[in-house]
Amino acid sequence: MEKIAIQKELIKMFGKDMLLNEELDLMYYSYDSSFLTKLEPASPYAVVFPKSTEDIQKIMQFAYQNNINVIPRGAGTGETGGCVAVEGGIVLDLSKWDEIVEIDAKNMQVIVRPGVIHAKLNEELAKVNLFFPPDPGSSQMCTIGGMVANNASGLRAVKYGCTEQYILGLEVVLANGDVIITGGMKSRAIKNVSGLNLTKLMVGSEGILGVITRIRLRCFPKPRARGIAMAVFDHLDDAPAAVLDVYQAGILPSGIEILDSSAITAVNQFKPHIKLPAAEAILLFEVDGNPPSVEFEGNVIQDVVGKRARSVEWATDPKRMAELWEGRAVTSTVATRVRSDGSRVFAGEDISVPLSRVTEVLRKIKALGEKYNIQVVNYGHIGDGNVHTAPVINPENPEEVERVLKLVDEIHLLAIELEGTTTGEHGVGAVRRRYAALEHGTALDYMRKTKDAFDPKGIMNPGKLI
Amino acid sequence: MQFKDLPPVKEQLMKCVRCGKCRSVCPVFAEIRNETAAPRGHVFMVEMLRDGKVEASQQVYDRLSNCLMCETCSVNCPSGIDIHELNAAARSYVYKNNTSLAKDMIFDTMWTNPGLLKTAIKMMWGAQKTGMQSLARSLGITKLLPGDMPKAEQILTSIPSRSAKSQLAEINRARGEKKYTVGYFLGCATNLLNPKVAVATVDVLTRNGCEVIIPEGIKCCGLPQLANGKMDTAQQLAAHNVKVFNAYNFDYIVTDCASCSSALASKNMHFLLGGSEFENEAKNFSAKVIDLTSFLIDILDVKPPANEKTNKIKITYHDPCHLANAQGIKAAPRELLQRIPGVELVEMKDANRCCGGSGTYSLTHYDLSMQILDQKMHNAKQTGASKIATCCPSCMMQLRHGINREHWNAEVVHPVELLSDSYKKV
Repeated sequence: MEKIAIQKELIKMFGKDMLLNEELDLMYYSYDSSFLTKLEPASPYAVVFPKSTEDIQKIMQFAYQNNINVIPRGAGTGETGGCVAVEGGIVLDLSKWDEIVEIDAKNMQVIVRPGVIHAKLNEELAKVNLFFPPDPGSSQMCTIGGMVANNASGLRAVKYGCTEQYILGLEVVLANGDVIITGGMKSRAIKNVSGLNLTKLMVGSEGILGVITRIRLRCFPKPRARGIAMAVFDHLDDAPAAVLDVYQAGILPSGIEILDSSAITAVNQFKPHIKLPAAEAILLFEVDGNPPSVEFEGNVIQDVVGKRARSVEWATDPKRMAELWEGRAVTSTVATRVRSDGSRVFAGEDISVPLSRVTEVLRKIKALGEKYNIQVVNYGHIGDGNVHTAPVINPENPEEVERVLKLVDEIHLLAIELEGTTTGEHGVGAVRRRYAALEHGTALDYMRKTKDAFDPKGIMNPGKLI
Repeated sequence: MQFKDLPPVKEQLMKCVRCGKCRSVCPVFAEIRNETAAPRGHVFMVEMLRDGKVEASQQVYDRLSNCLMCETCSVNCPSGIDIHELNAAARSYVYKNNTSLAKDMIFDTMWTNPGLLKTAIKMMWGAQKTGMQSLARSLGITKLLPGDMPKAEQILTSIPSRSAKSQLAEINRARGEKKYTVGYFLGCATNLLNPKVAVATVDVLTRNGCEVIIPEGIKCCGLPQLANGKMDTAQQLAAHNVKVFNAYNFDYIVTDCASCSSALASKNMHFLLGGSEFENEAKNFSAKVIDLTSFLIDILDVKPPANEKTNKIKITYHDPCHLANAQGIKAAPRELLQRIPGVELVEMKDANRCCGGSGTYSLTHYDLSMQILDQKMHNAKQTGASKIATCCPSCMMQLRHGINREHWNAEVVHPVELLSDSYKKV
């Protein structure tokens, strides 16, 4: 079916106000945060803003009958091209569908539509002393639907894990328009091993199996106290070693974050009032719980880490904690500031390696940066081995682009070589799909067969994940 | 200079990583909620323009101009991009291919000529005074106005009969010992729509040892032109005003209008005149520019006389974007209000969120502007205040319109009006 005909049909179904079809407007949907879509933007045939399961059913039935690709999209803050129509199709912008359907405080769960913003959800849950623990750096703008589709995690995965651990059930519209409810039709149970676990299958499926339209999330009691220890290191190698020391001391912080020297410089440029000390590395240890336990764990961390660190600052003042946490949360973008005529690029930015190999991977990434003569900024969730690398280049210089693509390829291969993975939390999308066979071997065939079962015509977000 | 060689286009465009942080702070995006209104979307469109991937069409202009230029995105951009400058440069570039006679008349001819502007405002005053405005509304004649103007003309309520300039002398001597010679940049909107603010400004400054000179020949600060695709005109106005003020030997150049002070401050001056023959003169000029509230607190350290008999009033303060975002001035106006006897300052939620006025935005995008205003009014009302203080005539106009829409018995004032009153009450 031709693009114009598709647009006409969609207008007939939904009216002009619920979609975009002008060429100019469609261009705004040709990108996300990935470097790939900066290099190769791809406009969809149309953008629809559905606000009900029935709307999406109608779209899927139409798309299925006419073999049209459909690409679900949240806030477009992903870094893999996952929400971009790289092979053409209709984009479903679900970010306007942002209803918190029900906060079921007694059962410690909440039901939301996919467009709810992460920070907004936690703002509402805080009113009943609950919280949804995964904490992506993009909390202010990313949607819960996007988090589910990518199995996002972020700064508190050390203790609280990833999004998948909190999804009790989903409503999903499949490629042919069928609607399924995973986790039990009427279930509000927290524990549930009934049936094949389709919920887990859907989480992290990046939109290739269906469109997530309703999410039942488990919540945790909001911790009553919190503290952050900032440890400053003169030698980069000491930082990963200090993380292992803390674990050995029997402490499981809620988050352990690292910033290397370039990241520290960049954060200080954007938020000078945070006053991060200049160093080879800074670690932020966050602990939460009840006041005595936070104090106890804070003391242990200060003792243990103090043996390797130049200094340790312990903060329980909410203002100071917010500053430190914000400083880390914005690092992904402020990395751009380390070069006046350059920009960081989101490529090769999410490898994850075993804890025992973090020191090695940091050293090797540094060496790769030198090999390709590209400045790299390292930061990330060191507590779970998830290292974010920000290569900083002039993205408008083709020669530098060529070099950085080689660099990130080596970074991805390095992660696999070190018994890690190419992506810890950002996902595969269109940018890391080429490593799927290397990472999964024959399991990839079964992944493809699974997709065929849900989407025999291959119209759901093609060109991604597998 | 070619569009692609303009400093923000050449140096900053590449820095956008499309992280989307701007989506979470943009007041327009919060209402429209699609990517065409996201600041990163505007940056993307500027890139497409630069690379020739889209034509400099009216459609592109329409999308770029759906932005308040409130600078909220710029101050929150982790990559440090001056998104509003990119947008202004792009609007200007696109406008050159899509000129409009009416716009040229308004922004090039009328708004750059204080006499003509005054005449136009006088005519509006006459229309209001004689009931012609109401008659025109009831007969549906206002509906014939272009664009959003049929609705937006309601914002221009209560036009004063006399301009500030007709009430003030060119040279206003300091009362008591003279501390500073101050050049007063009397902006168009303060002069013609809020003359009481200007009178209060001169009163307070002279009471506090300043000789206040209002130079002849001041023209518009150029911000309305910049927001409406007329960067060349804005540059000419900037150069003109620099010349006018640099002819004097002022200690400071003060303005009570947040938009004017942001336009005259070094950052915007550099954007407009950097690399031109006026660059150095502009630097000298901008080094002396200071917003009135900062001047009163940080330089003069004003202390209004104590007055225990004065009635208590609850006031909430709205941060003008051009003060809070463009210049980072948030503390001085609050400090000033709190120094005024009887004032109880009550913070509203999101005090630094745009009111939707933003100069001419409310006139060109009335409905959206009202959606943004409604949220502001809701937050202001929640405080239980009887006055909203703010430091920008455009915000004042918008907030007054909001009060009328809400049928709320409250008043909008500039802090300097209250300060001036406090001296007179003793």
